[in-house]
Formats: sequence, C-alpha cells, structure tokens
Amino acid sequence: MIATNIRRLGVYLMLAFAVVSGSITWWQVVEAHSLSTRPDNPEVLAARRSLLRGTIFDAEGQVLASSEVIDGLSRRTYTDPAMTHVLGYSSLRFGSTGLERTFEDILVGQTDPNPIRDLVSDVLARQPEPRDLTLTIDRRLQDFAAAQLGADAGAVVAIDPRTGAVLAMVSTPTFDATPISGDPDGAQEPMDALRNDPAEPLLARARQGLYVPGSILKVFTAAAALDAGVISPDTTYPDQPREEREGFVVDGFTIREHDLGGIEPALWPLSEALQVSSNIFFAHVGLELGAERFLEYARRFGFCGPIRMGPPERALSVTPSLVTGSLDGDCGPFSGDVDLASASFGQGQAAVTPVQMALLAAAIAGDGVMPDPYVVRDVRAHADGDAPADEILDSFGSGGGTRVVSAEAAAATRGGMVDAVNGELGRLYAGQGDITLYGISDARSAGKTGTAQLGGEQAPHSWFIGFAPAQEEATPRIAVAVLVESGGSGSDGAAPIAGRVMAEWLRLSGGD
Amino acid sequence: MIGSRSRIAWRGAEFRLLFPILLLVPLGFVITNIALAGAPEVGDLTLAVGYVLLFAGAHLLLVVLGHRGDQLILPAVGAMGGVGMIMLNRLPQDLAGTSAFGLELGMAATQLLWFGVGIIAMLAIAVGLRDDGILRHYKYSWAAVGIALLAATLVLGYEVNGARLWIDLGPVSVQPGELLKIVLVIFIAGYLAETRTLLTSASVRIGFLSVPPLPYFLPMLALFGVVMLIVVRLNDLGTALLFFGIFLTMLFVATGRRSYVLIGLVLFVAGSFVAYRLFGHVQARVDVWLDPFADPLGAGFQPVRAIYALGRGGIFGEGLGQGLVTLGGNLTIPFVHTDFIFTAIAEELGLLGAFALLGFAMVLVFRGLRIAALARDDFGALLAVGVTTSLGLQTLIIIGGNTKLIPLTGITLPFVSYGGSSILASFIMIGLLLAVSHRSGTADRASGS
Repeated sequence: MIATNIRRLGVYLMLAFAVVSGSITWWQVVEAHSLSTRPDNPEVLAARRSLLRGTIFDAEGQVLASSEVIDGLSRRTYTDPAMTHVLGYSSLRFGSTGLERTFEDILVGQTDPNPIRDLVSDVLARQPEPRDLTLTIDRRLQDFAAAQLGADAGAVVAIDPRTGAVLAMVSTPTFDATPISGDPDGAQEPMDALRNDPAEPLLARARQGLYVPGSILKVFTAAAALDAGVISPDTTYPDQPREEREGFVVDGFTIREHDLGGIEPALWPLSEALQVSSNIFFAHVGLELGAERFLEYARRFGFCGPIRMGPPERALSVTPSLVTGSLDGDCGPFSGDVDLASASFGQGQAAVTPVQMALLAAAIAGDGVMPDPYVVRDVRAHADGDAPADEILDSFGSGGGTRVVSAEAAAATRGGMVDAVNGELGRLYAGQGDITLYGISDARSAGKTGTAQLGGEQAPHSWFIGFAPAQEEATPRIAVAVLVESGGSGSDGAAPIAGRVMAEWLRLSGGD
Repeated sequence: MIGSRSRIAWRGAEFRLLFPILLLVPLGFVITNIALAGAPEVGDLTLAVGYVLLFAGAHLLLVVLGHRGDQLILPAVGAMGGVGMIMLNRLPQDLAGTSAFGLELGMAATQLLWFGVGIIAMLAIAVGLRDDGILRHYKYSWAAVGIALLAATLVLGYEVNGARLWIDLGPVSVQPGELLKIVLVIFIAGYLAETRTLLTSASVRIGFLSVPPLPYFLPMLALFGVVMLIVVRLNDLGTALLFFGIFLTMLFVATGRRSYVLIGLVLFVAGSFVAYRLFGHVQARVDVWLDPFADPLGAGFQPVRAIYALGRGGIFGEGLGQGLVTLGGNLTIPFVHTDFIFTAIAEELGLLGAFALLGFAMVLVFRGLRIAALARDDFGALLAVGVTTSLGLQTLIIIGGNTKLIPLTGITLPFVSYGGSSILASFIMIGLLLAVSHRSGTADRASGS
C-alpha cells in the first residue's frame, strides 16, 4: 500500500517539475525578448556603459548622434538640439528616452533586426555590433521649423501624407542632450536645471503636449459629417445667419460666434463656413452627426487612444488626443449636447496633440487615407565615418494607412481648406498660410487656423494645420500642424510658420 | 563492515554514467577559464581534478566494499555538483571562503572541501548503516537532538539577512537547520512506521472529513508544531515551507489519506495568510513577489535582476563564463552563489542547460522514490520518501523562487548552491538512500542486467 502511495507521490512531483519547467520557459523563451529591451536591464546598462552605440543619421545622411568610448565608458554626442525631442537622450546616469530608448537593443547591437540572423548570432555567441539608424526627418526642415518657432513654446509636425514619413517634428523649448549623455559625473547639474525650468524643456510637446484644438478640429467635423452623409458641400442651416448675431441656444446654453471682424453673416455653406470659421455652422453639423458617430469617427482618426509612430515594439508613443472628458486615457461619453456642439468647433473638452493634428491634415491630403506615421526609415550596419553605410538590415514604413473617410468626403473638405487659405473671405483669417507669400509661385496650399480659447486672461494657443501642394490635380507632399503656445490668433502665430515650413519643404524636395 | 564479508560488486551502470560526467567537469572548467581569460589558456584545473578524484574514489570504494545500492544516484549527484562547481569556480572567489588551519581557501575550494567531507559522510552511512535500528528505535532521542539543535540556534545563532540560522563554531559556521531536516525525517519516519496502521484504520469522522485519532497523532503534531514555531521565530520561511512539505508528504505516503494533506494545506494557507497580515517581512516578500518591477532598484532588485538574467540566457545561454555576473564592480544579482545559483546557470547554459539540471534532479528524485517503493520495510520506505522529498522540494522551491513562480525563500539548491552545511546534509541524505537501497538489494535491477 505504501508503494501505491509512493507512485501517486511520483505523479504529483512530476507535475510540480513540469510546472517549474514551464516557469523557466516563460522567462527564457516567451519573455526573453521584451526583457532584453527594458532600460533597467543590467545588460542594457552594461551595454550603455561600455559598448559603442550606433550613429543616428537624418534622411540626408547627416549625423545627428554619435558615440565614442572614452576610458571604457561610452559617451554620446548630439549635433542638433532641435532633434532632442525625437532622439531622446542616452545617459549613463538617467537612462534613455525617445528613439534612444525604443531602439536601444538595436543601437548597441544586442538584437539583430532580422530574427533569423539574430538566432544565428545567438548560437555563435557573436559579440554585439552597433547598428545605425536613418531617420525620415530632414535636418534642414527640422532646423528651419525650429527657427520659425524661435523662443516661443510650441511644436511643428510635418508628415509626408503619401507615406507617413515624418519630415520634421519639433518641440520647443528644447535642450542640448550632450551634457547629460556624456560624463556621468557631470550630468546631474544640467539635468537638475532642466527639471527645474518652468518652461518645461523636457516635455516633448509635439507628442506629449495636450492642447485645446480650437477651430482646426472643424476639419475633422466636416470630413466626418461629409463621409456620414449628414451634410453635403451645399448644406446650409436657415437659422445660422440669425444665430451668428444672436447666439445658438443648445439645452438652454447660448453658443456665441467668435468675433467675425466685420464680416456680415450670411447663409454659409461648408466652404464659407470654413473660411470664416463659423462656430455656429459646425455646432449644427456636430449635433446632426450625433454623439455616437462623432466618437466613432474620432476613433477612426486615431483619437481616444495612444498613437504609435513606428513599428509596434519600437514606436515613439503619442499621448491620446481626446474629444470628450478623459476616461483612463480613452474618450469618455459626451456630457450633453453643449459638450458635443462645443467639441464640433474644437472647444469643450477636446484636447489634442500636434502629431494627431498633423495626421488629420495628412488624412485630408491623402484623399481620406490616414498614413501610419514613422520616424525611423531603416537600420544599417555601423558606419565607419560620417556617412551612412550602404548595408540596410531592416527598413520600416510600408506606406500603409487607414481609410478614415471616403475620397469624396476628403475632396470636399480639401476644397474648403484651399478656400480657407486662398478664398475671398478665408484670406482674412488663414491667408498667412498661403505658400505663395513665401516664394512659391506655381503651387497653392490648403489649411485651417485655430485659436484655442483657454478662458480667463490667458492668451489663446495659436494653431494651423494644412498641406501643400493643394491646387487641383496636385498630390500633396507635406502636411503640417503648427502650435504656438499663447501665440494669439491662428492667423498671427501659427499660419505664417506653417506657410513658410510648407514652402521650404517644396523648395527642398524639388519638383519630384 | 559490509565489504569485509561481501564480494566485490561491479557497479557497471554507475561507472558508465559517472565516466562521461566526470570528463565534462574539467572540460567545463577549461571553457570557463578560456572565456574569462579571453585567451586559449587551459587555466588552473586543480579543483576540477579534485572533484573527479572524489567521485571516482567514492565509486571505487562502493565497488570494493560490495555495495549493492542504486547506481544512478551517484552519477546524478555528480552531474548536479559538477555544474555547481563549474559555476562557483567561475564566480568571483571572494564571495565566500574559509581561512582556517592556516589555509586561505576561495569559494570553490571551500565548496570542494565540503564535497569531500560530504562524500565521506555519505560513504560511512551507505556502507556502515547495517541496521537501521539505531535510527528507528531512538526516534525520540533524535527528536531531542533536533530540538536541541534548534534551541542552540535560537540562543547562539547570529543573523544573516534577517534570518537567524547560523552558529559560529570557530573555523566554520554551521546551519543547524540543514541537519535538523534529516533528524526530523528520521523521527517522522520512525513514528509513522510504528503508528501508521492505527492512523490508517481508526479515524474519527467530523462531517465529511475523517480526521486521525488524536491520541496517536498528537505527539507528532506537537513536536512538529514546536519545530515550526521555532523555525518561524528564526524568520526562516523557506525552511518552514520545506519542513511542512516533507511532513505532509510523509504523512500522505504513510496513510494514503488525501484528507490529511487537504487539512494540512488548508492550515498552511490559513497560516500563511496570518503570517502575511502579522509579519512585515512576510508581507514585504509577498509584495515583491507579486510585482518586483514596482521597485526594481529597491525591494525588487534581486528578483528583477534574476529575471533579466534568465531572459539573457534565452534558449541556448550566453555560454559558460560569458554571463553578466558583475556590472561596474558589483554583482548583477546579489547572493548569486547561494540563492540564485540556478539563475546564473540558466543564464550561461540557457533553457537547455536549465532543463538538463532539472533532469538530473528528477533522476535523483525518481530513483529515490523507486528505492522507497522497493524498501524492505515501512521505516526504510518512509525514510527514503522523506529524504527524497526533501531534496526534491528544495529543488522545486528554490527554482520556483528564482523564476517568480512562488515567493523567493532563501534555501539552497542541493549539491549546487554554495554552502557547507547544505552539501553535508545533502550527502548524508544520499547516504541514507544508498543504505536503504543496499538492504533491499536493488542494485541488480538498477543496472538493468
């Protein structure tokens, strides 16, 4: 009888050994890769201390970040402070952020981007070799945009609407990451200064800043309502001219028009409503679209959740943009019709990132297809000198995207945005976004201004989203979002910056 | 002695298994030496040769003395110990060591010394324990020895890491808990062998549960309670868990009653919950277990670093001598030579090496159970079950702790972790297994001939 019990005990012990084997497998196989990229992994720390780190180049092969090993310690040098909020930093003291963090294992060569080669290297126990990154960002445009923002706090995001390649992504104020990435002993003081700076230079505003969008969100409302068939380009609201003067009463709350600057209210269809940026018109559109569909379209456009810029495990994350009150980073329900009507013209509880707004512009420019944004173009073998190596190990950005609205809805919205910059009424508002003002003669731009009212004495945030070239038959090559914190009206602060950036890019990228 | 009256026993299976294993140990030393030196140098192989000689000598003695016990156990122990020695030799040697009798020994050398002491103890028991009467009939004396050991620890012991487990005996420090484990197994085996028919046949029903007749049960329960109380008082949670597991397992094997185990488990869960609520250090340990990444540089440092090491190893491992043992002059995992030796092995030898090590432990455990099943009498069977369970549970508990399956407790991986008391106790248990095995003459069947 004891023998029987022993046999039963043997079965139980066998099960226990099986469970333990499973838990070993869990860490050594299933979780092994995700563990290897965590920044507090001693392997990563060790690599950061002593291993040479790959070089990061811009789209044109200019060096943005490079490393050298001095006395056994790896030191990082950054060439361009305008790039800091994209690259992040790689500090021996403070860990890493930005692309330095998401591509950490590849930069130090502990993972090969090709899984099969990675396995072979693993079997052969090869020493890690650093890898280089080439970005989609063109340093010339990045610097140009940063110079346009100057001393103002704000952001410029420029995307190629055809591919999703990020052409520029500037956040100001910025800082030089070299002092905190060099000598670990000397890193504390500059970091303390950055942390204590009331201007918050450590905040990557383009990706992490949430701002009231103001009237630029009307582009979204228009595209969604056109796609849903709620409005056509000719739709008008009979009460609108009266309400422009007297206010539009929703649920007992009176929605008022902004200062039209002397323009006489009339029965405005979509184009004119966009040109003068009529709050009343878009309140009607939003209410007709309804809360449910408004939220559905918002999600389609990428609101209400984090946006990933790049391949899943290595993406730069973008804070979720919201059209309603936040619910754990998601959009909550609208609190009522006033909330919905206000969001329809970009006020209410809406809060957005500049990246999300650039993607909105890119979706209209791309005939209703919102591209998947990406910042890193490819991974290459480590270059000896200052020019990228020819050997490409992995490349990103398939030019994929998501159709968010029909081509017809996008075309009608685009027409309104072209008019907003070039039309008789629109010129008064968004005319500063016209690229012909900045030395481009053969192309037009489209756009929309935003003046985000913050309440109280605070000066409004100034917004502009747009794209170029936008004349008929042209395929837009750049979509931008410009934000200037407390920059006043959209036409004063953001529009001229956007116009110049678009014009500069058309010049830089030539006639192709 | 047996040998003087018995013929020589050719232990062919043991020889054939031990031979390649003992060849691999010096090879492992060579590989680590090359990896550490970064140059093709064979390096110092004194310890490897010493290790090989110890096991070869043990084998020869068993042959000459005509021992007919199990032949797979010694090779399994040799393999586990060999992997352990390779790792200990590769770690920084100043982590532990001895300076006594005019000798300055590093960690690996000290460990080898204890292997020598352990193997002598094992041989003495395997060959010399002709009659188990000394164990069986004096079980209360053994219990007294156990209590005395515990009391000594309580009075004389000093603390390491919050647990008071060590007694300083001049040149060496010993952990009485390791020896207590054996005494406890002997006592329980003796007691259960005597009363097991009573415990099985007579029982009192309470509701749907049948509970053992208390008069027969109480003495053991009382002793066990005292032991557990003291162990908990010493803050040694791993040992408490181990003792409890051994006790329940032996009770189950003796009686075949799942209800006893069930009651025991309920008590254990309840006790654990009370301990969690009452003792800060228990709570802290459980919280770290649940989410070590909550404080990766503080309380969760050790488990987090261990998990990273497992991840670094992957399937194939980083290679012997190529693991990330130190970082900027500090150990990446504190206590890598004792509590986390398994993690270090899994890092350098990968999942395959970890499974191999687990496989050796399984050979040990299942041979131990086989010895128990074939034992001539109940006492031998229960004794074999007890020591086998002890070795098996220790392996499961510490590897489970290393891999975050259960909360981490500071117990050793038998034959692998650094620690003299643990090595000695483990070899004594192997000696007991071999003795039980010899008496039932399992050797012929074990060799497969």
